[in-house]
Amino acid sequence: MSRFVLCILVFCSVNVSSAVAGDVEAGKARYAQNCFVCHGPSGKGMASYPKLAGKEISYLVDRLERYRSEERFGPNSDLMIMNAIPLSDEEIANLAAYLNSAKVQ
Amino acid sequence: MKKSLISALFFLGFSALVTSSFAGHHGSKSAVVPQITQEAVLTGLESPWDTDLLADGTMFFTEKCKGFSVRLPSGKVHPLYGMTGSSGFADAGEDLWCTNQAGMLGIAVDPNFEKNRRIYVASASTKYHGAGCKTNFERCDGNIVMRFEVSKDFKSVSKRTDIVKDIQFKPFESNHPFGGNGAHNGNRPTFGPDGALWITTGDRHRGVCPQSPDLMCGKVLRIDTDGNAHPDNNPPAGYDKRIYTYGHRNVQGIAFRSDGEVFTAEHGPWHNDELTMLVNGGNGGWDPQQNVGGRGECPDEYCGYMPNQKEGVIPAVRAAFMPMSDTRFTDLMPPAWQNNGYSQGTSSIAFLEGKQWGTYEGRAVVGIMGIAFGGTPAGMRLDVYDIAKDGQSIKSVIHLPVEQKRYRGVTLGPDGALYANTDEGEIYKITAK
Repeated sequence: MSRFVLCILVFCSVNVSSAVAGDVEAGKARYAQNCFVCHGPSGKGMASYPKLAGKEISYLVDRLERYRSEERFGPNSDLMIMNAIPLSDEEIANLAAYLNSAKVQ
Repeated sequence: MKKSLISALFFLGFSALVTSSFAGHHGSKSAVVPQITQEAVLTGLESPWDTDLLADGTMFFTEKCKGFSVRLPSGKVHPLYGMTGSSGFADAGEDLWCTNQAGMLGIAVDPNFEKNRRIYVASASTKYHGAGCKTNFERCDGNIVMRFEVSKDFKSVSKRTDIVKDIQFKPFESNHPFGGNGAHNGNRPTFGPDGALWITTGDRHRGVCPQSPDLMCGKVLRIDTDGNAHPDNNPPAGYDKRIYTYGHRNVQGIAFRSDGEVFTAEHGPWHNDELTMLVNGGNGGWDPQQNVGGRGECPDEYCGYMPNQKEGVIPAVRAAFMPMSDTRFTDLMPPAWQNNGYSQGTSSIAFLEGKQWGTYEGRAVVGIMGIAFGGTPAGMRLDVYDIAKDGQSIKSVIHLPVEQKRYRGVTLGPDGALYANTDEGEIYKITAK
């Protein structure tokens, strides 16, 4: 029994850590696919698209997940919903990790 | 001998090829494809929107949410006039502000700058809201054009005079894609070869704007430097005399060809960006009012994104439902080019003048900013258009070999180079050899 509980704990901790700690390099590569077109190099923001560099991981994950579930925030929501729907949990974690660490040049 | 003859024939044939090739489709113009180089003049800016230059290379530029500055030929930059909340500028206008697409946008240098030291700047302003701006369905005068005098040391400006105070502004978010406040301002002032000041505007997401006789939204204005109508403007009877053309959606680009013809670059909605040769008093053909042109009621009385606003529709079907250039208007100015059913964010336009541009000489260069969504290919490029002399078609379009950027503004400098500012925060000098 105690071995079973231990296994669950280990399994959960692995899952939690992969959900929270995204891969910065993978996030950077995903960002370069199309996100940069609006949010600019390194997430600096441009035109009417907001700055993302340095934002908290929890904020970035929350917004991407809620856009993915078609929740609206502000006038560019349609665009973000369109782009967030295809994202996996892993991609969201990676993007959040990258943008959190990104430094504007 | 035979070998020599073959060589001679080959040489003759090659010469003929070269000769006919160099004759080109412009007659005597060069067919040499120039070598293009691109160097950053300024980096680290915040959404630079427009530039204009003096003969010695002194460059004025705007930043959408900060203000306008000048870069001297030495490279030194003086921040001249800021917006509310900005810092580091010699002076500021507390009525100037930015939101979404709106802010401090276009800038133009007076052709007589050496004598009068004047420049002109377009911006969003709260100063003339008056009793309006309480809803999206009423008049809201929130875009202005200002005139300034620049000090001899280029460290400050004075004598701000608001020469156009009544370009409409969108005060609130609406039920449309990209429906935030401050949408569709145009705001690219430029001087024509006639010495007049030309101002482009946008429809500010209000259906009645473009075809309205007395609202300045969705228009191209031609005025003097005090804001008065040009005496030769020829709008329809009852229209404001400042109007040169009407029926526009969001004109962010305007430029003059060497023969004096004026062209606009205009954003389409989900479809059909356009380049158009203007006709005095002509109609661009954009009419997003509800209950006209076979359409019924539309969200917030604006049909600009219909028939269904957000869902995928075959571009031709969408264009037929809500045309950029509606052929029911008898005074329609047909576009020289339309973007084959796509909308990719046409921004600024300039004509490439000077022999250094080789085969591109006389052609129009246009910023295509497109963000790639809804099945539309990405933009982020400068395209070069060979526009037919009659302005009714193009002969070709090619990509200029430059970095992939959101090119918001293009200005031909006095040195024959192209100055291009990007939303990423750079101003580039693009040179042809």
